[in-house]
Amino acid sequence: MKILIADDDALSRRLLEKTLERAGYEVTAVENGKQALEQLSKLEAPRLALLDWVMPELDGPGVCRAVRKRSEQTYVYMVLLTSKGTKEETVLGLESGADDYLTKPFNAEELRARLRVGERILLLEDRLVEARENMRFRATHDTLTSLLNRGAIMDLLARELHRSHREKKSTTILLGDVDHFKRVNDTYGHVVGDEVLIEIANRLLGSVRSYDFVGRYGGEEFLVVLNSCDPAFAPGRAEAIRKSISNSPIQTAKGSLSLTMSLGALMSSDWGLRPVEELLHEVDTALYKAKASGRDCLRMAQPTTRTEPVSAPSLQPVRLQR
Amino acid sequence: MEGLGDSKLKHGSETMKKNEDSHSDPAWNLAELLERVDNDQELLRDLLNIFKEDFPLTMRSLETAVAAEDLQNSARLGHTLKGMLSSLGGVRTAAAAARLEAIASAGETASLKGALDALKCEAASLLPELEAYMAEVRH
Repeated sequence: MKILIADDDALSRRLLEKTLERAGYEVTAVENGKQALEQLSKLEAPRLALLDWVMPELDGPGVCRAVRKRSEQTYVYMVLLTSKGTKEETVLGLESGADDYLTKPFNAEELRARLRVGERILLLEDRLVEARENMRFRATHDTLTSLLNRGAIMDLLARELHRSHREKKSTTILLGDVDHFKRVNDTYGHVVGDEVLIEIANRLLGSVRSYDFVGRYGGEEFLVVLNSCDPAFAPGRAEAIRKSISNSPIQTAKGSLSLTMSLGALMSSDWGLRPVEELLHEVDTALYKAKASGRDCLRMAQPTTRTEPVSAPSLQPVRLQR
Repeated sequence: MEGLGDSKLKHGSETMKKNEDSHSDPAWNLAELLERVDNDQELLRDLLNIFKEDFPLTMRSLETAVAAEDLQNSARLGHTLKGMLSSLGGVRTAAAAARLEAIASAGETASLKGALDALKCEAASLLPELEAYMAEVRH
């Protein structure tokens, strides 16, 4: 485990360095508080720190206060080294954000024992963060496909629409529905249906850029948000996504299945800033048109003019190569 | 009611007691240091070499600060010496440095020179022991 030592006394620093290396730590040693703070601000910084109380530039409590002010970084377990002995000073040190303190000259065994306490605390923190991240993931992702769930992608879409409007860019919204998916479930069972959905999710993710969003909108419906997508390229990109499903059969436990997807699409630049629900309604209508046009195709929702009411959009079929 | 005079008296009597206690300590507690370095002779030599280099420099800075009645720097350098000496097992000299730090922190300018002399006196008995040990391990 990495550990940072900050002590302006070279003798004490060398003693700590050697003692901790012998205990298996990967030691970084610095000679003042400013350098300590720089080290602790780095990516992959040590999460254990032994800080001398009195140091030039910035003292140990000063380092503790600065580290505790940052909320975005992982927890650093900090031990103050002090030859100060009064209760008031100890309280001051701990209130600055230190987790523990050790009196100089330190006893090597006591030092190691106190650092083991620190390691236990950090391990608990790791578990807590992991549990929180798992909960956050579960709250925002679909259990079966691990795609963003409906709520999460709707939130992201709303944010993206505002951003693209502000930056005068266009966002393309695609709503895809697996054609005849009910037949898959009815013929091969839900386990195979699930396999199909997982594979479709993977193909959708594989056919978009890293900064686009893909979510499971519900059942066999998927919502794809192409961020900052040039309107000239949007139909072509939507077509490529459609083909990613139909181009090759999906391997399942019951054999390979050839499936297709119908897509409704909308470019935000054609519609102006409107509520997400309204735009999704238009995309859904375009998807319905794609289904009605024989499936496995794309239809784009386009208003006749931008000022027209949302309830009366026109739908123009896009000529596609199949 | 405890006035400033009482406080100084108390501080003074504590200092005296510490002086009495510290005289029973060895100038250099080698056993304690060996335990601290896990009997690592190489590390011990490293520490002594660092001390040999840093101690005279810090002492000189301290002498300058005391001569200038610079309380802040006197306290800081006294603190540095206290840490250095206590890490090395120089118990009595560390105690003398601690007293100087306390005196400087308390703003007792008049006692500063005496505290420095006491520190030098303790150092004079510690340094030959360290030199002798270094000479011994060198051969």
